[in-house]
Amino acid sequence: MNSLDRLIKEKLQREIQARTRRHFIKDCVAGMGGLAMGSFFMSCNSFLGNNEKGKIALTERDVNPLASMAPPFPAKVKSVIYLHMAGAPSQLEMFDYKPALQKLDGQVTPQSMLEGKKFAFIRGTPKLLGPQAEFKQHGESGNWVSNFLPHFSKVVDEVAFLKAVNTDQFNHGPAQLFMHTGSPRLGRPSIGSWVTYGLGSENQNLPGFVVLTSGGKTPDAGKSVWGSGFLPSVYQGVQCRSKGDPVLYIDDPKGIARNLKKSTIDAINNINKKEFDEYSDPEILARINQYEMAYRMQTAVPEVMNINNEPEHIKEMYGVRPGKESFANNCLLARKLVEDGVRFVQLFDWGWDSHGTGHDTAIDLGLRNKCTEIDRPMSALLLDLKQRGLLDETLVVWGGEFGRTPMQENREGQEMAYKGRDHHGDAFTMWMAGGGIKKGASWGITDEIGFSALEGQVSVHDVHATMMHLLGFDHEQFTFDFQGRPFRLTDVEGHVIHEILA
Amino acid sequence: MKKKVSYGLLFIGIIILIISVWSLLKPSDTVDFSADIKPILNKNCITCHGGVKKSGGFSLLFEEEAFADTESGGPAIIPGNAAKSPFIQRLKEDDPELRMPYKKSKLSKEDIELLTKWVDQGAKWGKHWAYTLPEKVEVPKAAQSAGISSGDAQGFIKNDIDHFILRTLENNGLEPSPPAEQNVLARRLSLDITGLPPDDSLFNDFTTGKITYENMVDELLSRDAYGEKWASWWLDHARYADTKGYEKDMGRTMWRYRDWVIKALNNDMPFDRFTIEQLAGDLLPDPSVDQLIATAFHRNTMNNDEGGTEDEEFRVASVIDRVNTTFEVWQSTTIGCVQCHSHTYDPFKNREYYNLMAFFNNTRDEDTSEDEPNLRFYSGEQQEEVDRIYQWIAKNENWEVAKAYYNFLQYSEPIYHAHLAKDYTNGNLADTKWLALRDNGSCYLPDVHTQGADHIYLKYSSSIDGTKVTIRKDNAQGEILSQFTTNRTKGREIQKFPFKRTDDKINLYIEADNDRISPKSATSYISWFAFLPEIKAGDNSGYSQIDDSFMKLLNSNTPTLPIIIENPDYQKRATQVFERGNWLMKTDTVEPATPQSLNAWNDAWPKNRLGLSKWLVSKENPLTARTLVNRVWQQIYGRGIVASLEDMGSQSDPPSHPELLDWLALRFMNEHNWSVKALVKDIVMSGTYRQSSKNNARLYNLDPENRLYARGPRIRLGAEQIRDQALAVSGLLSTKMYGPSVMPPQPEGIWQTVYNGGNWVESQGEDRYRKAVYTYLKRTSPYPSFLTFDAGSREVSTVRRTVTNTPLQALVTLNDPVYLETAYHLAKFMAQGSNVDNSIRHGYRKAVLADISDEKLNVLKELYNTSLSDFREKPKNIKEFIPFETGTDANLAALTVVANAIMNLDEFLTKS
Repeated sequence: MNSLDRLIKEKLQREIQARTRRHFIKDCVAGMGGLAMGSFFMSCNSFLGNNEKGKIALTERDVNPLASMAPPFPAKVKSVIYLHMAGAPSQLEMFDYKPALQKLDGQVTPQSMLEGKKFAFIRGTPKLLGPQAEFKQHGESGNWVSNFLPHFSKVVDEVAFLKAVNTDQFNHGPAQLFMHTGSPRLGRPSIGSWVTYGLGSENQNLPGFVVLTSGGKTPDAGKSVWGSGFLPSVYQGVQCRSKGDPVLYIDDPKGIARNLKKSTIDAINNINKKEFDEYSDPEILARINQYEMAYRMQTAVPEVMNINNEPEHIKEMYGVRPGKESFANNCLLARKLVEDGVRFVQLFDWGWDSHGTGHDTAIDLGLRNKCTEIDRPMSALLLDLKQRGLLDETLVVWGGEFGRTPMQENREGQEMAYKGRDHHGDAFTMWMAGGGIKKGASWGITDEIGFSALEGQVSVHDVHATMMHLLGFDHEQFTFDFQGRPFRLTDVEGHVIHEILA
Repeated sequence: MKKKVSYGLLFIGIIILIISVWSLLKPSDTVDFSADIKPILNKNCITCHGGVKKSGGFSLLFEEEAFADTESGGPAIIPGNAAKSPFIQRLKEDDPELRMPYKKSKLSKEDIELLTKWVDQGAKWGKHWAYTLPEKVEVPKAAQSAGISSGDAQGFIKNDIDHFILRTLENNGLEPSPPAEQNVLARRLSLDITGLPPDDSLFNDFTTGKITYENMVDELLSRDAYGEKWASWWLDHARYADTKGYEKDMGRTMWRYRDWVIKALNNDMPFDRFTIEQLAGDLLPDPSVDQLIATAFHRNTMNNDEGGTEDEEFRVASVIDRVNTTFEVWQSTTIGCVQCHSHTYDPFKNREYYNLMAFFNNTRDEDTSEDEPNLRFYSGEQQEEVDRIYQWIAKNENWEVAKAYYNFLQYSEPIYHAHLAKDYTNGNLADTKWLALRDNGSCYLPDVHTQGADHIYLKYSSSIDGTKVTIRKDNAQGEILSQFTTNRTKGREIQKFPFKRTDDKINLYIEADNDRISPKSATSYISWFAFLPEIKAGDNSGYSQIDDSFMKLLNSNTPTLPIIIENPDYQKRATQVFERGNWLMKTDTVEPATPQSLNAWNDAWPKNRLGLSKWLVSKENPLTARTLVNRVWQQIYGRGIVASLEDMGSQSDPPSHPELLDWLALRFMNEHNWSVKALVKDIVMSGTYRQSSKNNARLYNLDPENRLYARGPRIRLGAEQIRDQALAVSGLLSTKMYGPSVMPPQPEGIWQTVYNGGNWVESQGEDRYRKAVYTYLKRTSPYPSFLTFDAGSREVSTVRRTVTNTPLQALVTLNDPVYLETAYHLAKFMAQGSNVDNSIRHGYRKAVLADISDEKLNVLKELYNTSLSDFREKPKNIKEFIPFETGTDANLAALTVVANAIMNLDEFLTKS
């Protein structure tokens, strides 16, 4: 095959890949906003007219990498809100009720349980620590929730619990990377990047993948947990902040009125259009489109990030604290963002590492406060999505990067002043709610002290496979070629957890 | 008539005969394994019959496996007999349970025919092109032979590269584009070589014909900015950053390595030397300080300081990263897959990964929080003292002992780290860093070789006086080797105590007693232990002064740089194969070796990193030169000859111009003696490079990625160049070179790491305007505008940045205060124009080095007028818009808006 044939063949393949999203240059304006495009119409047409050899064949993605795309399989949900409790919350004080552990409180852990196990901080022989919360069954499902989460107890029938999630990472950084990229080492794209790459965004005035943090810190693993790895960086998470510019450099410089910025962008695009006439480089069209989008984002982002205009009862429902960085604000923002068509909203809340090294990290004190901080907002989020009919098309995921030990932490082999639990990845709880999720389900059972899975153990890859399934992807087929091989979010593992699907 | 017909038939018959004979003999009828067969196998078979799985005991990954007996008894492929080969029979089966590929649709008729023919022709195995040596290539003289040697094509050819390019163009019915205009070419060239637009005088000299194109190339290659520009590219490979990465992401002083790279590039250090010094500088005879600095290449691996992490796990992670990085950087090979199983597509065996790892597994670094070993940089005065000590010991003892002391002053190795201690009683590894014993505490330090030393060196801190430390041989009842008292220290100190000489490998049993402190307090926090050879001449007069000076230097505070140092023999680690890549599941012990499928090992080379680096830059290595020329080519054209820069294996993109790749590789090694500057010069001197980058619909539709090079390169500038260019055209750019990384302004609240590892302290003075390569890079939070323009976080090696086009980029160049400041300074320059038209003309010309068209001028003038009336209406906006300057008027503010627009034009952000 000579190289011309090969080129033609490749071109045909590209066209097939582009399926229905193929657009000719005359349609390029369709993907662009209405700003100062009158002359651009002319440019497109004159370009076509002047060139008898034909038109430049482009896909919509050539000029707009965030163009919305349909998934290969029918999807249950359109968007995802992922609530990550960085530091790893204790399942034993929240969802995984272990009365037997209460009876064993203060007893020395049997050697047989410790053999071959590695802990981050526990040394020697620790003692068992009974649940520091009171549990009750709630709702029609009768699922157990502790008194640390009184509001959440009332929405328990909306969610499906995974009680025996397993991870092989027990340090925060690698475990968070694993939870969000499918690999404990750096370099892989985050789930949000995969999803945005696969589906694009429904709203061309907002980023497709938004990250909101609370607790005063970014996650231990840094920004790589919302990085795009080997995917183009346009698919990485965009951090929207509560203080300063909500998105970096989104605000016009002081002294520059909106109309002046509009004139500036008009001028830039006008000249770029002339540049396109001369060079016929589609990248110029993409740039024109991006400047348009930037201008629209400058209005849309501050608007969507402003919670002040929400009705009082909604603010009350979430317990927001306007002007502050808070998990409650972020939950309300998450709803607003998915309502506006943002594909993936990632929340990180910091402060869940309950080692018992002080008041804030004590299982019976600090953890309870953290639970109070999230209880109302996350329950409100589910109810608010539901009352707007959005819960059916949104997937809400909650969890940490691992769980915590039934043993009381004895840092450096010594008894500690506060009660704490060490990192533990063998079995911990996550929950999901929303479209395609079996309401009130609970899958997975741990042993009587909540140390190991007895039944229904699922891996981090399984969680990812399930999320992808709900979004309309077969996680084994959804790949990206890099370094000479196809990569996927779930690597070579992962099974859809059908037990929690409706 | 009849006769005529029969002659006619005969004639036709002869033609048919000729055609059929020709078709039998023509070379293309021989099936080629690499080109025809391997792609079919990779696509359809290898997942089940390859590196990961060997279903039915059959694998198509290696030749010997493909022809071996399978589980059904005989071999699947019988060379020369397709009909009897189960490999072929199974492809044709109708029963889907028997047919291959299993449970997939039948292979196409063409594929089956090809495979059948291949087996019938003897099933000759072949090597993938990248694993065979480049062969001497004749430069094609296409233009002369092909009849279109028109004036244009002749004018196009500037050097041999163009012959290769032109031939492919002709084969595709294409012609090269006309040359780019002089001003466009000058800007392109200067940006490609120095990362900056040309300065006025060079630009004028070239465009007025005072100097030739080649003069300009040579001038640019000789500038310091060349090394700074190309350093950014290499530092991506080296994953250079100013912090350690992971959770805590603490600062790490690495900039001396960055400066080494800049200098090496500017001095055009041959690439073979460049390779050896970075991979094995410490193993060269009497390495110079620079050669030790070069080894920091592999100290750019991350270091995990997170509480509760095990140093050994992350030491292993670093070693694995070094293997993977070395192969990605020099061999375009993703060897990482082989960690868990044999490579799925390429001929690398699982075990070979660990053979490679054995080269890297014996370095002194152990993921400690202090990043040891650190090369120390003494002041001139201190260095004289170091030399005096060395001379004294050499004279009074011997050179060998002197060297040990010298090295210890230089990088404090070999040492035994606290994390090696085990079996603690009343003690622990405090904060996962320090050996801490409480009263009546003890622990073991296993497998210590004291080398007959008469002193033990300790680095420790303590806030308590009067702790009695006893060190015994092997256990609590063992012979006392040393007994001493530790007291309150000023910070961390290095002290030495007498030690009983022993040559055995022993366990040190360490006890601490101090009954005056609470049972919960640690007596001290020990970082490491060390032993130095005895100075028998210690009784000589003058020794005590030398000894004092030695201890003083050891305890002095000096700048440092983490480097690579090889383990001495007595500290050597065995390398074991990890089962399924799990570092805790160690199996067979292996020796250092390179993969069988690549070039042979020369027994003259030492079996260590030095040997490995010589193996890499051996002219017998098929991948090193190809890899380098492909990547340099990509830097200039935006696309490699092999597009998948990171991989040249059998799954890689086929080379667009295979012969050109080999020709460049051979020329680079043999004629240019690994000179990167000469390679760059070859590429930019070509007519291919000098073409106009103007596109048209036919060209675009036929070749959207410009892989045939029928036009010049047109690519958005990289993150560093976008900043540097803006600073350069506004006159703000500092040309200061080298030194600690700087922190130009960035928005507040960007650094929010879990444990405060430092603050962004805004640089002052010219350090605000340094070139991007000097900007501090925190891995978990890189400089935001660079990240937006696709620069990475340098956590792992990056050989190719993806270029994206996003709205966030527009926000940076429109609104980032850095870009407003540059716009203001360009506006000040513009304001010198006699009227608005001239101001805009000057500004545009300064920025994009072209005369503005009337159309564009009108657009910008309209923007100027809108801005001017806006600022006149609301004069207080002027001060708000330009807060860093007083006495600005509406005219200057309006020009600033125009300058900002100019600096956001596609033609400014793009290399045309």
